[in-house]
Amino acid sequence: MLDEAFAILKQYDWGSDMAPLAPIEDAVALSHDQAELRRDLENRLVATLQSDASRDAKDYVCRKLAIVGTVASVPALEALLRDKDHSHMARFALERMPTREAAQALREAAVKVNNELKVGVLGSLGSRRDAAAIPVLKGLLTDSDPSVARAAALALGSIGGVEAANVLKEAAMSATGNKPVIIDALLACAEALLAGQKQTEALAIYRSLAIDDQTRLVRLAATRGILACTSLQS
Amino acid sequence: MNMFERTSRRRFLATAGAAVAAPYIITSTALGNADRPAASDRIVMGGIGIGNMGRGDQSDFLNRKDVQYVALCDVRDEVRNKAKTNVDNKYGNKDCTAYNDFRELLARSDIDAVHIATPDHWHAVMAIEACRQGKDVYCQKPETLTLREGPLMIAAARRYGRVFSGGSQRVLGDYRQYVDPVWAGELGTIKSINVNVDPLPKLCNLPAEDMGEKIDWNLWLGPAPWAPYNSKRCSGSFSINGASWRSFSDYSGGGMTDWGAHHFGGATFICDVRESQPEEVTYHENSGKPYLSYRYPNGLIIYHNRPNTGNLVIEGTPGERTPSKPVPMYKGEGGIYGDFIHCVKTREKPFRDIELAVNTAVVSHLGNIAYQLRRSLKWDAATQQFPGDAEANRLVDRARREPWQV
Repeated sequence: MLDEAFAILKQYDWGSDMAPLAPIEDAVALSHDQAELRRDLENRLVATLQSDASRDAKDYVCRKLAIVGTVASVPALEALLRDKDHSHMARFALERMPTREAAQALREAAVKVNNELKVGVLGSLGSRRDAAAIPVLKGLLTDSDPSVARAAALALGSIGGVEAANVLKEAAMSATGNKPVIIDALLACAEALLAGQKQTEALAIYRSLAIDDQTRLVRLAATRGILACTSLQS
Repeated sequence: MNMFERTSRRRFLATAGAAVAAPYIITSTALGNADRPAASDRIVMGGIGIGNMGRGDQSDFLNRKDVQYVALCDVRDEVRNKAKTNVDNKYGNKDCTAYNDFRELLARSDIDAVHIATPDHWHAVMAIEACRQGKDVYCQKPETLTLREGPLMIAAARRYGRVFSGGSQRVLGDYRQYVDPVWAGELGTIKSINVNVDPLPKLCNLPAEDMGEKIDWNLWLGPAPWAPYNSKRCSGSFSINGASWRSFSDYSGGGMTDWGAHHFGGATFICDVRESQPEEVTYHENSGKPYLSYRYPNGLIIYHNRPNTGNLVIEGTPGERTPSKPVPMYKGEGGIYGDFIHCVKTREKPFRDIELAVNTAVVSHLGNIAYQLRRSLKWDAATQQFPGDAEANRLVDRARREPWQV
């Protein structure tokens, strides 16, 4: 039945009946604790991804690889990151895949793909909280394309930690157009530091933002943060 | 604009009024009267997504005397134009600005609060951006599409001190007959409650259609995977049987989140576990038909589709009485909308504060994931992860189509 389902998947396109794909759905669920079956399933999915199947079929494959994909899927997915029709769904599989290779593929794509796709890749790195991407993101914070600079800032805010916060702090001092999003990311870093019991580091960020140069919204956010830090310290 | 700024504006008006000659005409609309507060005391609002639910939300806010509705946004030309006409007719002017792109509306510094009633796949992106722009938010249910979105929305609201209300009017409105005796302690310790709600979301594979309407398709899809236009794919109908976006997993959690927001919201309210999340979901099968049981930290079990059990059937402890507790209610006047506006003015937390709404959405999402993986799951609310379950953790979130991020 799985053979038949994959044969149908090769012809699958918008408007196709989805019922014949049920064996693939079953295999995804049932292979949870059956390594051999899952390996076979992944191989079949990757083969479809590398075939001339339709965009819809490849999207379908990426949805399944988001659950079952391993390092074995990464090269096929990585190849799609630069393709405007497939980049998002390749990320759909890679973003949540718990392998170093998936993160590495996204990091490499962050400097290779065009700006439109890069924004998505940076979002995926942020979502993965990939601290190894901080040097790449730091370089992109000052990108001439505001959407790239914004995406880099938000990704750094998602990653959090002292290193990301320091990068954002430095950028905030010279930023102009994208300053609000850098500050937002910095506040997110402070919250994560506070939640991680690093009150001193969080307090330093909040104090740096509770100044007249900032908007009232930011000053109030920073003041709330200072109160949270000091109440924990006391 | 926050309350501090509104206060400043009032002070400015008072000072300016004393210092300069009065204008030739000050309308009663601006000054207010016995029936309506002065313009400076009204909450300035805009709406994003003015389709079926959004139209109802707009109507409720628009008809409030303490709201000045100034802007709206929708990616459908016809919906947008009708909604603007509706507002303009109400006020007898042409002042309401209609936008196709929500970012333009959110960038306006004169807007205090927004209501959001787009399809679910947009909620997190828009609501978080609204908080960044200093707006208070009323967001229709289900507030989230993924588990990761909830904490991010809460964090954005708390970061900027925003009032953020979720949108189920039924949680308090429909279930009081269950809430009152339970909170009065008449049923003793509650052991379980059952929620019946269907269906699960499905992948949408509808074929391309000619666009029979003027719609910004790229913005409608937004963070969701690209797909061709199909009128059923983007229909805002309340149907969850394949004829609306509510049916499809790219835009909604199906009946589990759509009606689940009401029923699970009601169940968690009835059993007073609104402030917590389940720690375990057990997948059962009965004659080949799956159902779930969620276990809460206090031992409560919420069933989903328990065989031969009606919706909101409660299992208490016969012969036991527990201490009575006051039932939380809406503040202000006008149901859930009045509650939100009251809280915008007072900075209190609304009845359906985003944190409580997210806790309900978590129940729905955990259920969808358990059904998808066809197995039981453990859930750690503190880390928002499935402990030791790498496969399930992949489903905590999903990649968004560029350029959208949360």
